[in-house]
Amino acid sequence: MAQKFAYYPGCVAEFSSKELNATTKALAPMLDIELLPMPAATCCGAGDIAEAKPNLYLTLNVRILSQAEEMGADVMTICNVCTLNLRRANKIVKDDPRILEAVNEELIKAGARPYEGTREVTHLLWFLATEEGLSLLEKQGPKGLNGLRVAPYYGCQLLRPSSVMGFEDPDRPQSLERLIRALGGEVADYEAKSRCCGFPIILAREAVALKESHVALSQARDAGADCMVTPCPLCHLAMDAYQSKAEAANDAEYNMPVLHLPQLIGMALGMDQSILQFKRHMVSMDNVVEIVGA
Amino acid sequence: MPQTTFDIFRYQPDFADESYRQSYALDHEPELTILDAVLRLQNEQDGTLAVRYSCRSAICGSCACRVNGKTVLACMTQVEDVKKEFGSDTVQVDPIGNFAPIKDLVVDMDPFWEKFKSVKPFLVPDGPAPEKERIVSKEAMQKIYNESKCILCAACYSECNSFAADEEFVGPAAFVWGYRFAGDERDGQRKARAKLYSGQHGVWDCTRCMYCNERCPKGVDPRDAIEKLGGIAFNEGISWADSGARHAKAFLISVRTGGKLNETLLVPFTAPIQSQMDMPFALRMLRKGKAPSPIPHRVKKRSEVNKLMKNVKETI
Ligand code: SF4
Ligand code: SF4
Ligand code: SF4
Ligand code: SF4
Repeated sequence: MAQKFAYYPGCVAEFSSKELNATTKALAPMLDIELLPMPAATCCGAGDIAEAKPNLYLTLNVRILSQAEEMGADVMTICNVCTLNLRRANKIVKDDPRILEAVNEELIKAGARPYEGTREVTHLLWFLATEEGLSLLEKQGPKGLNGLRVAPYYGCQLLRPSSVMGFEDPDRPQSLERLIRALGGEVADYEAKSRCCGFPIILAREAVALKESHVALSQARDAGADCMVTPCPLCHLAMDAYQSKAEAANDAEYNMPVLHLPQLIGMALGMDQSILQFKRHMVSMDNVVEIVGA
Repeated sequence: MPQTTFDIFRYQPDFADESYRQSYALDHEPELTILDAVLRLQNEQDGTLAVRYSCRSAICGSCACRVNGKTVLACMTQVEDVKKEFGSDTVQVDPIGNFAPIKDLVVDMDPFWEKFKSVKPFLVPDGPAPEKERIVSKEAMQKIYNESKCILCAACYSECNSFAADEEFVGPAAFVWGYRFAGDERDGQRKARAKLYSGQHGVWDCTRCMYCNERCPKGVDPRDAIEKLGGIAFNEGISWADSGARHAKAFLISVRTGGKLNETLLVPFTAPIQSQMDMPFALRMLRKGKAPSPIPHRVKKRSEVNKLMKNVKETI
C-alpha cells in the first residue's frame, strides 16, 4: 500500500518553480507514495515572518502541522526553508508543553484545530536517501544517468542547525551523493556544497548574495560538473535564475545547469520532458539531456 | 597509549611569506584536549608553534580554531572524540576562518573587536538614575539569558557566509550583544539601537546560513538574536527604512491577503529601484514563467489565518 504524506510543496514550488511541483507529483506514484494536498496550508513565512512576528510564525506553522495531524499523515516537503521552518516550530512546541498550550489557545480562538504534537516533518531527499527509499528507486529499474557528473548542492537550511534538522552530519552530508550514485551518476565533489546560495538576501542585498553563490558555482565548475542538483527551489532560483547575474558580478563563467532533485530522479527514470519542463530553466539543459540521452 | 598525528597550519611571517603545514606525532593519555595537545607540542617539540589561550576551561574565549575543518574551542574538544568522529588518527588544526592569520593559529582579532564596539555593547539607561539599583524581574532577564552566555570567542564568524562575502558585515556575535542590550528592559535605546543595527552591513545582511548557530560552543544561537533584532525593528516602526525589512513586510501582506507568498509583491517591495532598472532581467524571468501572477494565492479557511494575524501578540 502506498505510504501517505501530507504534501507541503511551499510557495516557490507552486508558483515560480512549477516544474519542481509537477515533477514531484509525477514521481510520487512511481515510488509508491501518495502526496495528499493541503489546501488550507499557508506559507511557512520562510524565516521572514519569524523575523518580523515570531509568535505569528509559530502559530501559522503549528496550524499547518495540525492539518497534517488531522489527515493522519506526516508532512513531506521539497524546500529546505519550509523544512527548517516547519521543523523548528514542531520542535519548539514539542519541547515545551506550555508553549504548545498557548499556541493552541490562539488556534482555537481563530476556529482552527489545535495540535497534539504527534507529527514529523521530512524532506523528499531524506525519505529517498534511506534504505527504504533507495530500494523503492531500485524497483523502478532506473535507466540511469549515464555517468553524468553531478555536483551535489545542499545549501544551508536542510543541514543547519543540526539540532533542528538532524538527518545527517551537516559538515559531511552524503544523502545527495548516495542518490546520485544510485541513479548511475558520478559525484563531482567540492567543498562549498553546504554553503549559502545567498537567496535570503538576493533582493535586499544583491551584491553580497551574488558573491556567495559564486563560491559554490565556481567550485562546482572547477570540479568538472556537468550540472548541479539541489533539494531546494530557493537555491535553484539563486543558482539558475540568477546565474547570469552572478557571472556578470564576479566576472566569471559557469555554464552550470541546475536541476531540482526530483528532476534528476525523473530523468534517471525516463520521465517525459513535458513533466520535467527544463525549458523553464534559465540555464540551458541541452548538454545534460544529451549526456543522459533522455 | 594512543598516538595521534597533528597536521597543523603554520604561518611564520618572520621566516617565510607563505603558510605551510607541519606534522607532529604525539603519544598521549586518552584524555587530552586539542589545546593541551598543541601546548604539549609547543613545550616538547617546537617552541615556535603559536596559539592563543588563557583559561583552558571554555570561559575566556581565546582558543577557537578549526579542527578537521570544523570551528571549535580547542580547550573543549577531546582529541580522541575527533579521531573517532572522523575515523582517522590524523587531526588537522587550523586557525579560525575569515580573519587574517598573524602567526600559526593566532589570527588578527581587531576587526572582530571593531564590530563588537560598533553595536554599543553596554547598557544605556533612560532618565535619571534611581536612588538604589535598577531592579529587573527574573522573566525579563530570562529573555536575554541566551545572549548573556557569549564568551566572544568569534567561532560564529569563522564560517559566517555573509561575513565571507562582505567584510563590513557586523556579524553574529556583535549582534548577540546588540540584542543583549536592546532586549534588556533597563536599556533606553531600543529604537536607536534598532536603527543602528538595520543599515547596510546590518541585521538584514545576514544570509541565514545558520553556521553561527551550528558552531557556537556556548549554545548562544546568534542567528536567533539577529532574528529578534529584526523583530524589534518592526515593533519600533522602522521596518520601512530598509529593503531587508520590506522583504519581510511583503511576506506578511501576502499571508494576510491570500495565505501564500505573493512573489509579485516581493521584488517591488524589497528593491523598488533595482526592479525598475533591471528590466532585461525581469523580462527574461517573465519569459520563463518565473514572474508570477499578481493575483494573491488564496488558501482555504482564510478566516482562521486572518484571525490569527489579528489576535496573535508579539512579546519580543
Ligand atoms: S519557504 Fe518558501 S517556499 Fe517555502 S513556503 Fe515558504 S515561501 Fe514558501
Ligand atoms: S577558550 Fe578559553 S577557554 Fe578555551 S582555552 Fe580558550 S581560552 Fe581558554
Ligand atoms: S556567539 Fe557563541 S560563537 Fe559567537 S562569540 Fe559568542 S560564544 Fe563565541
Ligand atoms: S546565519 Fe547570518 S550571522 Fe549567522 S553565520 Fe550565517 S550569515 Fe552569519
